[in-house]
Amino acid sequence: MSVVATLNKNPVRRNTAQVGLFLIAMLLVPVVFGTGYYLNMMIFIAILALPALGLSLLSGLAGQLAISHGAFFAIGAYGSAILSARAGLSPVLSTLLAQILVAVIAAGIGAVVLRLRSHYLAIATLSFAIIVELVIEEWRGMTGGMQGMLGIPPMGLFGYEASSDVQFYYVYWPITALMLLFALNLASSRIGRALRAIREGEPIVSSLGIHTAGYKTGIYVVSSVFAGIGGALYAHFVGFVTPATGSIMFAIEIIMVLALGGFDRLWGALIGVALITLLNEYALGFADYKKIILGVTLIAVMLVFPRGLLPGLIDLARHRRIARAA
Amino acid sequence: MLKVSSLEKRFGGLTALKDVHFSVTQGQIKAVIGPNGAGKTTLFNLIAGTLRPTAGDIRLDGEAIAGLPSSRIGMAGIARTFQQPQVFTSLTILENAMLGGHRYHRGDFLSCGLGLRHTRREEEKLRERAEKWLEFAGIGDIAHRNASELPLGQQRYVEIARAMATGSKLILMDEPAAGLDDTETRELGDMVRAISESGTTVLLIDHHMDFVMSLADEVLVLNFGERLAEGTPHEIQNSQVVIDAYLGTDDDA
Repeated sequence: MSVVATLNKNPVRRNTAQVGLFLIAMLLVPVVFGTGYYLNMMIFIAILALPALGLSLLSGLAGQLAISHGAFFAIGAYGSAILSARAGLSPVLSTLLAQILVAVIAAGIGAVVLRLRSHYLAIATLSFAIIVELVIEEWRGMTGGMQGMLGIPPMGLFGYEASSDVQFYYVYWPITALMLLFALNLASSRIGRALRAIREGEPIVSSLGIHTAGYKTGIYVVSSVFAGIGGALYAHFVGFVTPATGSIMFAIEIIMVLALGGFDRLWGALIGVALITLLNEYALGFADYKKIILGVTLIAVMLVFPRGLLPGLIDLARHRRIARAA
Repeated sequence: MLKVSSLEKRFGGLTALKDVHFSVTQGQIKAVIGPNGAGKTTLFNLIAGTLRPTAGDIRLDGEAIAGLPSSRIGMAGIARTFQQPQVFTSLTILENAMLGGHRYHRGDFLSCGLGLRHTRREEEKLRERAEKWLEFAGIGDIAHRNASELPLGQQRYVEIARAMATGSKLILMDEPAAGLDDTETRELGDMVRAISESGTTVLLIDHHMDFVMSLADEVLVLNFGERLAEGTPHEIQNSQVVIDAYLGTDDDA
């Protein structure tokens, strides 16, 4: 109990402990279950968790809905692909450099677009996503147009490139865990507190002498970089990118992920991604009905747990406990 | 410390405030009274930067603040509480109060995300500051409850603790006694006096005449957007213009 109390008093330690345990569990998975095709799926979960975590920071924490996470996933993917495949940079370096591009674009977009509220913001970021998709399709010399780009080097440094699923697994899950830790720390810091307050009432936050626009732009940039890193990891795992990478459909799927897992908890993003990936995979057998199965699942979850699976299950557990205590 | 001169606010063809001038001296409790629609809340919104004045000048310790965005005015040292308490219901009471001191700390996105040590020290200071003002407001023992669970009166105390934690020179209180019973109103009066004794200047709006008259050092009376009278509570109570304006229009007196 005293350990728990100490951890609760210091959120950074609590987050580190939680994520640490989670990462250990994830790293033990291949040891326990061996290698196999399932690892491929797990790697996709690690990759897709990043844009989902990013959107969760923006929407769940700060209450701003953007449809640009697919676009920033694509910019991260294409940016890193071009820098590594065409300019010959190491994938680690190209991944990082691509994030500078993502951050600069996001800061520019954010400064203009975050003056807007609610659905206007969604429409404005949707327009941006459409522009990005067009640029990728039309800038053939650089992006390969509709054909996309092949031959993107696998993630690695100094000649040590990941070449098997199990290697990618052991490189990508620690990255995702660290990003999760970053997101959790941010959410439990003064910045997270300010953002949660902005979600509720921006004018009141301003009246406390807090420059709200700076916080909104800041979280938009951070959130977009999460998507951008996800994109780069994707490119260096599958080895090719096409305009379908980070399309608008993808952005909407990320929103669905949060609707499933729960917007207001970062861990919910992970659960949502895992669920969508599993559904996508196992509904594959039903080809034509895949979309229907996804849709029905989403509707069912929304009906039973309007706030998403994770918050819903937590509430349920609490009620059970209270009911038992009474 | 606060000097308002020839302040005017028009909404289209409607003049909400016209040629309002008054000043507040350091450490004072000053009340603004007037019938409904006299422009009291508009005056507060102009001072706090929620609205921009059509004309006129507002100075805080000599610094011109009229028309600045509300965050800049907050940084200059003016805090406020609202007619309908505006607490953040998804945060705890402690977190609400911690937002008051937020502006003093600089931990950025990167250092907060990385959980660097200096951000944790900042957080500790913020918490201490917030706890001090929650104690002051008499709600220190429920700091970890969610703000949404509180009755109206206590939400107002949360707002006061949050406003005091900003360390502002001037606090604007819009009808702090609205919806409170007699005991709560008396407690609130003591709290306002304690705020003033701590060195913070108070400018407040209220309808409860006995509350205002027993509390304020000076009273400003607005009527139809114009300055009707200004003076000590005693002067105001005996002023013929004020009595005329209030007769038949207000039932609180």
